[in-house]
Amino acid sequence: MSSPWKDIWRGILPENPTFRLVLGMCPTLAVTTMVKNGLGMGLSTMAVLICSNVVISALRKLIPEQVRIPVYIVVIATFVTIVEMLLKAFQPDLYRDLGIFIPLIVVNCIILGRAEAFAGKNTIFRSFLDGLGMGLGFTLALLLLSAIREIIGSGTFLAGTGAEVQVFGSGFEPFAVFAAPAGAFVVLGLLIALSNVAFKRFNIG
Amino acid sequence: MEKLLALIFVYIFVENFVLMRFFGICPFLGVSRKMETAVGMSMAVIFVMTISTLVTWLLYTYLLEPFNLLYLQIVAFILVIASLVQLVETVLRKISPTLYQGLGIYLPLITTNCAVLAVALLAVQEEYSLLESLVFAISAAVGFSLALIIMAGIRERLELANVPKAFQGTAITLITAGILSLAFMGFKGMLSI
Amino acid sequence: MRELLRLVLTLAVVGIVSAAVLAGVNNITAPVIAENERQETLQALKDFFPDVSSTEVKEEEDGTYTLVYDGSGKLLGVMATVQFKGYGGWVTYNMAVSSEGKITAIRVLDCSSETPGVGDVIAKPEFLERLMGKGVGDAIQAGVDVDTVSGATISTTAMINSVRLVVDTVAANYLGMEEEGFDIAAVPDGTYQGTGQGYKGDIVVEVTVEGGKITDIKVISQEETDTYFATAYAVIPQRIIDEQNLEVDVKTGATGSSAGIVEAVRDALQKALESGGEEE
Repeated sequence: MSSPWKDIWRGILPENPTFRLVLGMCPTLAVTTMVKNGLGMGLSTMAVLICSNVVISALRKLIPEQVRIPVYIVVIATFVTIVEMLLKAFQPDLYRDLGIFIPLIVVNCIILGRAEAFAGKNTIFRSFLDGLGMGLGFTLALLLLSAIREIIGSGTFLAGTGAEVQVFGSGFEPFAVFAAPAGAFVVLGLLIALSNVAFKRFNIG
Repeated sequence: MEKLLALIFVYIFVENFVLMRFFGICPFLGVSRKMETAVGMSMAVIFVMTISTLVTWLLYTYLLEPFNLLYLQIVAFILVIASLVQLVETVLRKISPTLYQGLGIYLPLITTNCAVLAVALLAVQEEYSLLESLVFAISAAVGFSLALIIMAGIRERLELANVPKAFQGTAITLITAGILSLAFMGFKGMLSI
Repeated sequence: MRELLRLVLTLAVVGIVSAAVLAGVNNITAPVIAENERQETLQALKDFFPDVSSTEVKEEEDGTYTLVYDGSGKLLGVMATVQFKGYGGWVTYNMAVSSEGKITAIRVLDCSSETPGVGDVIAKPEFLERLMGKGVGDAIQAGVDVDTVSGATISTTAMINSVRLVVDTVAANYLGMEEEGFDIAAVPDGTYQGTGQGYKGDIVVEVTVEGGKITDIKVISQEETDTYFATAYAVIPQRIIDEQNLEVDVKTGATGSSAGIVEAVRDALQKALESGGEEE
């Protein structure tokens, strides 16, 4: 596999931030009640991740070692604020649903983790790809989790977008516990166990 | 007074920050393996959460809001938290090197503990007074500690149990947390703020 | 020393650039956000009052009341945006009340605090239609006049109670409707304080109720003109006690103060009924 693709692929499967690195758990559990929210959070985090990775990589030779963490934090926080303002202005429904977890993107360990582990030491292009890959991996994980929780927990799919689908028909009594916090923990736990088996079986990462 | 008592009960039990609101999951998963580290982390979090809420509340009320600088909130708040953690690290290294060693990497990780930032943000969002915010912060931190310590107790026993390979580590911890969360759901509706 | 300076300088530069960028983006997005909010309110209004032409917004402590007028300046009704404590937290809803004091529409804006699949029935038409058409003067008692939903008793009861309160508030404050036949006999024994709008300011009274009758009315504070107030005070409280009724004739020449005293007494009794008779 050629190198650029490797940088992207790494974040999607072998080092998937949710299933392998177990990072960014808070938003993963909190916003995945609906696919729309999971997708929104995933893409927002990816946007911040790519931007901060690129900027930090661009500045990596200029930032003195001792202050690198505060600088990273300011950069990440700036992009998070920008995303928050853009969402509030152009996607008010999503902004309302994601709520406090938008500003909390700034402490999503994935972003600071990649800044420290990758962007601070690699070229801009590769950092961009890394952000893309990790962001995609995170988004896919969120999509999977929120699809399960929404379908079983509310009986719908893509509720809130134009393309809402009633999966089981109107007679279905959803298992509300899956939409509740307890359900989030359990489904994620099961998914991680499953992915452990899958990764071992298919020899990935 | 009633409000303060209600705050305490609600944020330790009804709206437990870890089990009901999903804040602080990363350290919750990472530090709950041993009781000692769990307790040490709890103390550190209570301290950082309380002081940082105090400082960010003052910053918001006397600087950001009156001067229309609300768009700087995220940057300002997280810098306050990061600086405080740095301070705790430095002080702890001098006062109790053993505890400092014990906490290891987890101490700087308090910066990325979303619970700390969440408490700071919520205190001003809910428009709590300074006293209410302090009580809120302490209660939330105690709730976090409660969840952490319960989980550490359970995990120490899980180490000795026959957990299937695929479930070992994170997976079984999450499922256990799910059951704990179900238990805490029993508090729902008892009291609301 | 040079090293320290370099560190501080880097941080400062990064900080300033960050602040500048954020200020810039804020300038672009803030007007859009404000416009969104304006549009949202207007859209909600159009759904409820298609003839809306102008509005007057009143921000009260318990909610926002928007008086809706048509092109000719006639009051079409009031849109109340209110919050109440449901099962798990605060629920926000819009309610349209026509100028006759009847509920014409209810839209729940945020019931995320209620249990999904259970408590959120309060947002669904199957529940809300039970409240449609009811108005001031109608009995809106949870479980008695309006059915609650089994399994979601707390959520639905809280909603019904809130709706009743808001309808009464809107009718009394903005539609100029008198409450019909205040049932004094239902007021528990005790002494209660109430506030009413006099001619020049608030009038605060203390009302004593014994055995279902008003036995005493004292004015605690008022800002009225002395002579006018004196004439009202000499007559109105005694009339209320004699007739055991709030629909008393006002004292000509001191109508403002008279109405203020009556309103204050009504407020005291209202609070007494709501608090279940706890002494102030």
